[in-house]
Amino acid sequence: MTPTPDHDRNMNQPDEPPPPARPLERWFPRDPTTVGDDPDYRFTLANERTFLAWVRTALALSAGGLLALTVLDDVRGEEFLGIGLLVISFLTAATAYRRWALNERAMRLNTPLPPSRLPLLMAIGVAIVALVAALIAALN
Amino acid sequence: MRPDTVFDPMMQHERTALAWERTAIASMVSGTLLARRAGDLHVSLAALGVVQVVLGAALLIWTGLRYEQLHAPLRRGESPVHPFAVQFIGITTVVFSGAAMVIAIASTLA
Repeated sequence: MTPTPDHDRNMNQPDEPPPPARPLERWFPRDPTTVGDDPDYRFTLANERTFLAWVRTALALSAGGLLALTVLDDVRGEEFLGIGLLVISFLTAATAYRRWALNERAMRLNTPLPPSRLPLLMAIGVAIVALVAALIAALN
Repeated sequence: MRPDTVFDPMMQHERTALAWERTAIASMVSGTLLARRAGDLHVSLAALGVVQVVLGAALLIWTGLRYEQLHAPLRRGESPVHPFAVQFIGITTVVFSGAAMVIAIASTLA
């Protein structure tokens, strides 16, 4: 098979079928820099900035939960608000690295980026927390 | 006289360095609150929050130093990626937010 010149290659076509990810690897991805080729560094840095934005979101939720627990001492039900925010913070932090690793792996193997449910789950989680906060405000 | 080439097209590296710095600052803020809340449960647990603050400060310093060191490799056209730093901040954020969650649940049950 004659090698295709770089300018003829369609960047959207995968070079080869990606190696199937073992089920454990989908939850705990390996270092993605061990597979594939270096993508354009702009995409790698954009992926990195997205990951850092998710980490900042998790840290902000954690700060909000800790603040709720510390400041709202006489408010009935404040533990639910604080613990709820901290749980969402933990889940976001735990998912963010996996997102980064799967995206990096897909970019290196020239496959489509895997879909992410993280924004939807974040929206649902924060909406629930807002409802809980409204309930607490109404009950006090 | 304007330069012909820019070694940091679209300011990608500077924006990434700023994202790292914003994350480090958020980590320090969260660590301060964790120290306060964990200290209410038991004074020795405040060390958890202090460690998070220190790690955030170290990350802030690392980012600044690393961006300075990047100028030479960037002019040579090398690709600056840091998977180790990503793993580091990913793991530490999971550990500290998990610790905050556990401490909150424990202090509620106590």
